[in-house]
Amino acid sequence: MALDFIKRFSSGTAPYFSLAALLLPLAYLLSAATQDSSRFNDLFLIIFGLGIATLLLLMAILSRSLFRLYRDFKSNQAGSRLTVRLVSLFVLLILVSTTVVYSFSMHFLHRGINSWFDVKVEQALNDSLELSRSAFGIRMRTLLRQTRMMAGLLNELPQQDVNHNLRELSKLSGAIELSLWTMDGQLITSSMENTVIFIPSRPSETIFHQLETQDAYISLDPEQDNLQLRAAVLLPPKQGILQTRFLQVIFPVNDRLSELGKTVQEAYTDYKELSYLRKPLISVFTLTLSLIVLLTILTSIWFAIWISRRIVEPLQALAAGTQSVASGNYDTQLDVSGHDEIGFLVRSFNQMTQRLTSSRNATEQSHRLLEQQTNYLTTVLGSLSSGVITIDNRLFLRTANIASSKILHINLQQRLESTVDRLASQAPHLLIFTQLIEQKIAQGESWQQQIELQKKKSMQTLMCRGTPLPNNNGWVIIFDDVTTLLQAQRNAAWGEVARRLAHEIKNPLTPIQLSAERLQHKYLPMLPADQSSTLTKLTNTIVQQVEAMKNMVNDFSDYARNPGLQLKIQPIGKLISEVLALYQSNTSHQFILLKSPQDISLNIDSVRFRQILHNLLKNAIEASEDAHLAVDIIVSYQAVTQDNIPWLEISITDHGPGIPANMENKLFEPYASNKTKGTGLGLAIVQKIVEEHGGHVWAENLTPSGASIIIRLPLEGAIP
Amino acid sequence: MVFIMPASVIAKIYGFLALLFFLSSINAVRATTFDIPSAHISKIGNGHVLNATINYPLTPRVIEALDNGIPIIFFQEFKLLDITPLLGEYWQWEETLWQTKIRYELRYHALAQQYILQDLATGKESHFPSLEGTLHALGKVQNFTLPPEHLVNTNDLTFLLRSGIDLYALPTPMRPGAIISSKWHLTSPWTPAQWH
Repeated sequence: MALDFIKRFSSGTAPYFSLAALLLPLAYLLSAATQDSSRFNDLFLIIFGLGIATLLLLMAILSRSLFRLYRDFKSNQAGSRLTVRLVSLFVLLILVSTTVVYSFSMHFLHRGINSWFDVKVEQALNDSLELSRSAFGIRMRTLLRQTRMMAGLLNELPQQDVNHNLRELSKLSGAIELSLWTMDGQLITSSMENTVIFIPSRPSETIFHQLETQDAYISLDPEQDNLQLRAAVLLPPKQGILQTRFLQVIFPVNDRLSELGKTVQEAYTDYKELSYLRKPLISVFTLTLSLIVLLTILTSIWFAIWISRRIVEPLQALAAGTQSVASGNYDTQLDVSGHDEIGFLVRSFNQMTQRLTSSRNATEQSHRLLEQQTNYLTTVLGSLSSGVITIDNRLFLRTANIASSKILHINLQQRLESTVDRLASQAPHLLIFTQLIEQKIAQGESWQQQIELQKKKSMQTLMCRGTPLPNNNGWVIIFDDVTTLLQAQRNAAWGEVARRLAHEIKNPLTPIQLSAERLQHKYLPMLPADQSSTLTKLTNTIVQQVEAMKNMVNDFSDYARNPGLQLKIQPIGKLISEVLALYQSNTSHQFILLKSPQDISLNIDSVRFRQILHNLLKNAIEASEDAHLAVDIIVSYQAVTQDNIPWLEISITDHGPGIPANMENKLFEPYASNKTKGTGLGLAIVQKIVEEHGGHVWAENLTPSGASIIIRLPLEGAIP
Repeated sequence: MVFIMPASVIAKIYGFLALLFFLSSINAVRATTFDIPSAHISKIGNGHVLNATINYPLTPRVIEALDNGIPIIFFQEFKLLDITPLLGEYWQWEETLWQTKIRYELRYHALAQQYILQDLATGKESHFPSLEGTLHALGKVQNFTLPPEHLVNTNDLTFLLRSGIDLYALPTPMRPGAIISSKWHLTSPWTPAQWH
């Protein structure tokens, strides 16, 4: 608690107020004591205590200031070096100026005080004193003789006449007082000039002592304001009188002489006193001056520290503010103190930080806007189904949206800042794409071109467009996977052809067939036997061909038919088993069904699904038979997951010759068949039905022989 | 002669010299002081009188000042105490019944070559051709009447006296030097008077 009090007291302005509180009463007390020195006795202890306290407090304040300065300097605080430099400069100036003033003051002090005293004056005073003494000495000797005569005269007189004659002698001699004393100190008789006073002044012990050894005494007595001459002479022994007597006579001194003597005495005493006090006076003045110099130096050092701190304070604040700004705190504001140059500097700093803050806010606002726009653009690009990439002039990939990665089957987001050459080296199937980019960019104009990329199992058609970015900042390349679109267009075209063919061909077929049958029925009996067979053969041919055309037209009709799916949850395993059962009558054919571990049901049109299986099985059987190979077909189905989407995968694998190389890309297109019989629509219908169910189908050649048709249908039943 | 100095200068002097005095008084070796070899109180009639002898062995420094015209103020201080012992002689209750101080000025008259001793209370002067005679006269306290109202019962009463030089009456330039110098501190200790 005491420590807290000391800390609180020693901090802030408390010490300065305490110093002022000590100095004021001290000054008052000293002033009072000096005015009336007798009061100093009473005030001495208080003044002493206050003086000590003031000095200690001043030294403590100074020590504290110096310690703080040292601490700041050691800890390398901002502005401390400048403060130390200023303080050193101030202290140096103070010491130099004070020392000069002190030296000169001391010199003048000594010279000034010593100049008061002059040897000639001193000698003159001594001489005047000596002269005065001599003058009084002559007078004293005369009076002593006169006194001796009076004593002799009195001694001759009878005892009873002494008193009367004493009065007469007093009048004659002009003495102030005549008195006759015994050596025991008893007054015998006296005569006073002043009749008011009856008792004569008693001789001093000195007179008694002197008359014990000598017969006379004479002295110059300073009495109040005047001088008197006192003479005492022993009366010679007289018969009949046992006691030794002496006559004391006090003579006045002439007023003028007395005044002169007094003047000489005072002048001599004053000069002597002054001369004696010369050394203490110089010492006191020296001490005073030294004390004032000490106090001045102490106060000045303290003031130098204070003023240096005051000067450096705004600079420190500026330094701290600058550091703050350097560390990114732009809204730093400093307190403006004063209207001087430093105040102007602080105001300028505040204006600067305000502008910096405004600029930063504007920049941040712009940045936010830019970010929003970028996010907006990214969102737009991300939601696009088209692939969008940007490439700079050095062919470095800068941006790529999600669709671009999906279309190109490579994660472009992980390959930003890569060159397109590097992309091609990492994904060889993109070589055509990158070559196209390099080639078109070299031409420097907007371009559009369709290219085909080789995927793993099929071809992919991309429609690419390139446009240079503004300010020659590179290129933006937009591409779409138009494979499906082209396929759909082709399918639609084929469907239209099939529909027209069915419509145009189917109508005349029945009349043709009926006409042929009528021809046979009507004209067969009429023809001779050798010709009837020919007719029969011809009409049968017509009928068979018409039947064949009907089948073909039905196929066309199936292909061109609008989708009207009768969807129902069906167990897949059961459906496949039922279809396979129809083909197992031929013992030379071998069918193996690999069932899924779990029973899978799917929302499908069972009739169409059966047609898919029929078409594929028929295709597989015909492929093996055409190649004169054993029919060995494996049908399997299972649930698979790709890209987190569950699929039902059905594969039908034969051990035939496989798919010819020229057929791989157009296997599922209408009339893409190398078989001599059939319409060439089987696999096209399969693809159509699978796509109607939201799935897809592809074919793979097996090693060493055989082919596999794989169907994938969505398991979650989301049929578009 | 009186020196008139600026108050501020005096203030600084005293502040500093007080410190010096404080420091010097701690280890100052006391020189010979005035002493009171005899002090008796006698009953004369209904009253009491004091007769005492005080020796004034002046130091050369004091004599030098005197010879140079500096007036020296001597004081003789008397006090009558009623002492009640509470715990033997270690702890006593002292009540001052009466006290007084007589001041004398001693100066040298160069023209008359006499020492003048003046009672500052009455203004009465005495002249002495020698210093010894002056001091002898000064040290002779004869028939000093004590206040009868306090002396009805003299049991448990103590009469103390002392004498010294009033340093604060010295001329101002001398005062600091005298205050810190042991050659000026000649005040006798308080001495009890014997009751008869």
